[in-house]
Amino acid sequence: MLIGGALVAALTLFAVITPLIASHDPLTSDFVHGISESGAPVGPSGNFLLGTDRIFRDQLVRLAVAARISLAIAMAATAIALSIGSAIGIVAGFFAGSVVDNVLMRIVDVGLAFPFLILVMAIGAALERTDAMTIMATLGLTGWLGTARLMRAKTLQVRTEEFIVAARASGQSTTGILAKHIVPNVSGAIVINATTSVAQMILAESSLSYLGVGIAPPTPTLGRMLFDGVDLWATAPWLTVAPAVAILMVVGGFNFIGEGFQADARG
Amino acid sequence: MRSRLFRVAASLAILWGVITLAFFINHALPSDPARMVAGPHARPADVARIRDQLGLSRPPLEQYARFMRQLVHLASADLKAIDHATCESVGPLHVDLGRSYQQHRPVVRIIAERAPRSLLLACAAAFIQFTLGSLFGTLAALRKNSVFDTATVGMTLLGMSAPTFLIGIVLQIIFAKELGLLPLDGYGVTAWEHARSLILPALTLGIFGAAYTTRIVRDSMIAILSNDYIRSARAKGGSLLRVVVVHAFRNALIPLVTIVGVDLGALVGGAVVTESLFRWPGIGALTVRAALDRDGPVLMGTVVVSAGAMIAMSIVVDVLCAWIDPKGRVPSI
Repeated sequence: MLIGGALVAALTLFAVITPLIASHDPLTSDFVHGISESGAPVGPSGNFLLGTDRIFRDQLVRLAVAARISLAIAMAATAIALSIGSAIGIVAGFFAGSVVDNVLMRIVDVGLAFPFLILVMAIGAALERTDAMTIMATLGLTGWLGTARLMRAKTLQVRTEEFIVAARASGQSTTGILAKHIVPNVSGAIVINATTSVAQMILAESSLSYLGVGIAPPTPTLGRMLFDGVDLWATAPWLTVAPAVAILMVVGGFNFIGEGFQADARG
Repeated sequence: MRSRLFRVAASLAILWGVITLAFFINHALPSDPARMVAGPHARPADVARIRDQLGLSRPPLEQYARFMRQLVHLASADLKAIDHATCESVGPLHVDLGRSYQQHRPVVRIIAERAPRSLLLACAAAFIQFTLGSLFGTLAALRKNSVFDTATVGMTLLGMSAPTFLIGIVLQIIFAKELGLLPLDGYGVTAWEHARSLILPALTLGIFGAAYTTRIVRDSMIAILSNDYIRSARAKGGSLLRVVVVHAFRNALIPLVTIVGVDLGALVGGAVVTESLFRWPGIGALTVRAALDRDGPVLMGTVVVSAGAMIAMSIVVDVLCAWIDPKGRVPSI
């Protein structure tokens, strides 16, 4: 868990601080210093620590901005997905077997069987733009299905515990039981779910960028930087390596944290 | 038996739900199919005529009813406006998904052409996932807490953190760009070229899936190996190999089959990113193309195929699990 925390913290710091102290703009080409004599992007140097990209923009600053955007989207989308998923999962689990549970779970079934890409494109088209907010909303509104399943199962477990029976017997209201007893007892699972969810959101966001339905250029994203870089592998391998390492660091970091939580939960 | 029938009925209901949802989402997408069919230089009158012909000027509910009526019908059906021109026979039934706006061919035929390629890729990937996952998972469990085990767990975490396109790009750089051993992408013309083109995308999906599978196999094998019956089997003189394969692995098969089966179901419906990255002409690449082109009928076709494959595989997984573990002793995940 420490490794994971360190990785995430390092990347977050890099993402926040670099644009503040950098002398280059992430969206502006530098045709004076950023271009080599043969007309190719320059490699890593004192001026450009990670070189320049295919249209001679500072790779380091772009990477930091991309990491910032990816992290922000992933965290916000996770917050949305977890709120919806937990609420629906807890309600369905608490009223398991009822009509409410059945309707909610059938909606989840259909949602899970539905091709993700088409849902994303539909929401994107309905909102008529593809900026960071749209992608965040899309990932958040589509990412809650798995969480709902998980939280329903967790609630089902907790529901039969004696203290719940006792609370019911002592005449507590349903909302009271849900708020005071169920939610605190399933919140551990929510936290574990959150770390893996952030990792998955970052993967999803970069996949969407690759397919051309993610955030529109020129805004840098980790996924798009990787694909732009691969074309120039022969002349500028750093353009591939840097975003690849960044993706592995951030997703791996969150996975390591989740792993740590799970190990703790198992005792 | 009754619960099986119920399961199939519930699955069909889910499939219907998915198709219905997809139909109305597709309907809500801003696009003008009539203009696409007519071409960019058509006169407004022609566009209007084509819109009428395609039934696009009717209310959405009526279009939906027509779509569902046509989707599966009897070969002998004499429905109004069904000329069987875009049908494909499945026994006495006809399946009809209409005609592509872009390719101007029956969607069923486009899908029939591409589905086997996605199936091939999916099976190859599932095979790699199953083999790598069970091998490394079992070995790591047997040497729990050793250097090998720690390294395996580390590798699986790394694998789970790498998106498929990252794995794919790394494989492309190593095997195609640097070593020049395998084609970068494409499908080829001859069977030999197909096989060579298959290796990298199959490895990409296989490695990605294997990371998670290895973890599941390792964790369940560790739990199983500490059971009394394993110790008894060993004490009775069973060789380690025999005990592991016959007694332990059989019980780890349930979660393994579940994961690989569900993944297979998703892959048959098209590995969208991997197929696009490697230009593998399957259902996944078709989905992206259709979505970007706003080719409604093709998009609906891919939805039917991918949701159908996923739902069918989950039934297959259930049947397999019941066969491996008839008493349902091991709770499936």
